[in-house]
Amino acid sequence: MNKRLFLKTAIAGILSVGLFSGVALAANETLKIGFVGVTSGPAAAWGISNQRSMETRAAWINETGGYKIGDKTYDIEIVAFDDQKDPKRAIAGMEKMAQEGIHYVVGPNVDDGAAAVRPVAEQNGIMYFPYAFPKSLYEAPASNAVLGMVANYQSGPAIYKYMKDEKGVKKVAFVAANESDPLSQRTGGVAAAKALGLEVVSDSVTYQVDTTDFTPVLLPVVRSKPDLLVLSGVSPANAPQLIRSARELGYTGLISTETAQDALVLKEGAGDLANGFISVGGASTPEIATDMMREFVERYTKMFGEYNDESNTKVYALEYILETLKADPAGITDAAAFKKIMDTFEAPNPYMKGDAVLKYVGMSSFGQKRQVAVPLVVNVYKDGAFETLFVAEVD
Amino acid sequence: MEQVLANGLYLGAQYALIALGLTLIFSLMNVLNFAHGQMYVFGGFVTYTVVAQLGLPFIVGLILSGIVLGVMGALIEKYLFRPVIARSTREESTMLLAAGIAFFLDAVILLLFGEKQRGIPKIIDGVLNWDYRIIMPYDRILIGVLAIAAICIFIMYMQYSKTGRAMRALAQDRVAAELMGVDVKYYSMIGFALGAMLAGIVGGLLVSITGINLGMGGPASIKAFMMIMIGGAGIISGAIAGGFILGMMESVGLLVFAAYGDITYLMIFVSLIIFLAIRPHGLMGKPWG
Amino acid sequence: MNIKKPLLVIVLLLVVLVLVPWLIHVSGRWDFYYTLTSVALLSIASAGVWLTFYIGRINIGQGAYTLIGGYASAILVTKLGMNFWLTLPLAGLICALISIVIGLPILRLRGVYFAMVTLVLTEVARLTALALPITNGAKGIVNIPMPTELSFFGITIIPDFGTLENPKLAFYIASVIMMVLCYAALYRIVNSRLGHLCRSLQQNEELSASIGVNTAYLRVLAYSISSFMGGIAGASFVSISQSVYPSSFQVVDSVNFMLNCFLGGLGFVLGPMLGTLVLYFGWDLLFTLGKYQLLIYSSMLILLMVWLPNGLLSLKLFNRGAKKK
Repeated sequence: MNKRLFLKTAIAGILSVGLFSGVALAANETLKIGFVGVTSGPAAAWGISNQRSMETRAAWINETGGYKIGDKTYDIEIVAFDDQKDPKRAIAGMEKMAQEGIHYVVGPNVDDGAAAVRPVAEQNGIMYFPYAFPKSLYEAPASNAVLGMVANYQSGPAIYKYMKDEKGVKKVAFVAANESDPLSQRTGGVAAAKALGLEVVSDSVTYQVDTTDFTPVLLPVVRSKPDLLVLSGVSPANAPQLIRSARELGYTGLISTETAQDALVLKEGAGDLANGFISVGGASTPEIATDMMREFVERYTKMFGEYNDESNTKVYALEYILETLKADPAGITDAAAFKKIMDTFEAPNPYMKGDAVLKYVGMSSFGQKRQVAVPLVVNVYKDGAFETLFVAEVD
Repeated sequence: MEQVLANGLYLGAQYALIALGLTLIFSLMNVLNFAHGQMYVFGGFVTYTVVAQLGLPFIVGLILSGIVLGVMGALIEKYLFRPVIARSTREESTMLLAAGIAFFLDAVILLLFGEKQRGIPKIIDGVLNWDYRIIMPYDRILIGVLAIAAICIFIMYMQYSKTGRAMRALAQDRVAAELMGVDVKYYSMIGFALGAMLAGIVGGLLVSITGINLGMGGPASIKAFMMIMIGGAGIISGAIAGGFILGMMESVGLLVFAAYGDITYLMIFVSLIIFLAIRPHGLMGKPWG
Repeated sequence: MNIKKPLLVIVLLLVVLVLVPWLIHVSGRWDFYYTLTSVALLSIASAGVWLTFYIGRINIGQGAYTLIGGYASAILVTKLGMNFWLTLPLAGLICALISIVIGLPILRLRGVYFAMVTLVLTEVARLTALALPITNGAKGIVNIPMPTELSFFGITIIPDFGTLENPKLAFYIASVIMMVLCYAALYRIVNSRLGHLCRSLQQNEELSASIGVNTAYLRVLAYSISSFMGGIAGASFVSISQSVYPSSFQVVDSVNFMLNCFLGGLGFVLGPMLGTLVLYFGWDLLFTLGKYQLLIYSSMLILLMVWLPNGLLSLKLFNRGAKKK
């Protein structure tokens, strides 16, 4: 039996290798873009939605004849590395990217990984687009990281201000998982809320990410009677459970978060109880999505069977890399040229209606342009889908 | 305070059920099954598929979860653990095998069911509200009761059936049981299947409340390890006690330490270490090496 | 083992310092330097775990000491401006001291109880790092400078890594030298009186206590040596990534350290080194398999285990009379 099992596995292995090497040969030159992030284990959802958005876009470009940069047309190849949410592996991943001659990498997904890869990226001239918020990654002397989304210390104040002005919120409570990213986001959120003159009634309750019952966690929070409950840095897996427990404990106020969520996950996990839940999203809500965004969602769904709303915020990084390279083709082999053009780069935003543009921002947060300008779209969940609450911009 | 107790009881019931399967496998084969959490997740996904995607009743999903995991457990014991145990010089070596199986199940779950958090619709709506002293949704009560019922059935089975008696004999002394004519191989396989089946049933039960995602496996195993440590490894009643104690500790701790937030779990873990340092075999454990 | 110890060390040094760099140079796979540096450092930590196995304890808590070591070095470098090379042994010593305090009560536990307590210990270390002000809590310590020059009476012993053209190679050389030293020390311990006493603990603790072996002292000694190794491995990692977070070393790492020992073989000094190489390098090599990476990796792990339940080194090829029960 063991032999047979071994044979079977061996055959499966050979088959899968064969499948991978059987990628069609193209006439265009290939431009490799890297991805280093977590695509297995507890946080797999973050990296997978990320990697799949990139692969969808790349397949789309290749299918329609490639991407024109300067006077050459390129096929885009995504080289993905699973760092298992381990900063040590993330370094190995970045080394691998350097080995492949890649200069543009999307990821890592978490604070510790993004900080750990910095030396490797700087030594090898790699620009990377992490989804991590610590300011030290983007402030001088660091110069190779570009924040790939809106940070919570930017979206938080906007959301709280809206709540204060429009919904009459006075008292806020914060809940966070006891991990680096959520705790840092909570600290930022509390500061923002206090700056707006809101009263913070509870900011010390934390939970383990593996909690299976959030009722005991939320009991003291709900008893502090907030008008707004902020789930700082909540992962899509925990959000529906937290919402459900809070509602079942009789909490009637507002609930919000500054991370991206998935509508189907909320629907399955919390049902109607999730109605009114406020989160940050990309540009796929019907009010603002362009035809290109709709086609992206369609292609993604076709390629992977099911769309993930988190991808709305993750479609941008690859687009930015390619558009910026188009602005100065020298960037393909030289990150310094890329950095130089970043200061003046501007292109239309293909995914959002209106006159939004792609450009690099971050002067007020980091003192240098090290953030992609994505629209800050604040969504509210209603009966299985997101609706746009308001759209703001980050400078 | 009533609310805290109710929360603790509910948590304890689900914890105890997870720990039961783990401790059963440990008592029979001295295997610390690192893949237990993954089996629980697998069970949850089976129920999810049956209920949310095929539209069948919840109870069908629950039973199917149990059966699928039972068969999986039996196969794993027969073709993987048995040959390895027979040939390894130190029995701890099975930990690597168990960890390998855990990784393998993780990979299979990711490929089969995807990376997203999944859940099924509420089985019953409504919330029990007793004068704002105890607030408990009905489905949570139902799941708690079902969990406790499953625990009772399991104890009865171990106590009164022939298989149960054979397994208890096996757990006490493998060699003596064999000499008495107990088919050790057969009952080891049944025991492993039963342990896996329990994991599957908990997964099926909890998918209706907390949902399921592929990351829940590893942490669930570790929590289950802690419970069987508290109660005493390989002791059925110990696992149940451990489950309820951990449930209560979390429920009470989270309220008492709410103001200090970040240190609640630190306190729970440190007190666990101190407890074991004072009582090295848990509450009811046997002093073995 | 028939080979004399000094010869073995020289062969090992030649392999890691000459053969490997030559192969990398020829193949052009520069990324392997970091991977192999990781293997070297992780195998130091695994060697510590192996030593606790040697006294009959399953240690799933090495991650706690690598984390403590990492933080100790990071704090000494950033807050006190100490030279990294001085903080390296200090990090090890701090870990050893802490492990004595923790080890005294918990080393009384055995079997799975000890295993589980150490598993919880890793989580305790992570949560403590999150809660303490000196570790900078959730924000971690970032922007840690590269190791600076170490000189002795004006003679440079170790150059400033920041000014080197290829710090990757420098880290590699430093790590493999440390690894060889650690394994030489381990080999020495195992083949000394101390090693024989440790084996007696592994087989029957009561019996060895009854014939006058100070078991409590031995246990704590072995455990503190083990933690020392964890500490220096952690400190080295932190200086490579120039940052440390509470999640830099987690429960997964602790479990992996233990798995490395199992895979290599518990009866062989070089077991953890080989185990780390196969487990860590294997994952990296399978990176081209994309989403099937974990599936193939775990299948191979299971097959290896079914084929060689006593570890890779139990293959007859290596097994020269070192059979033990």
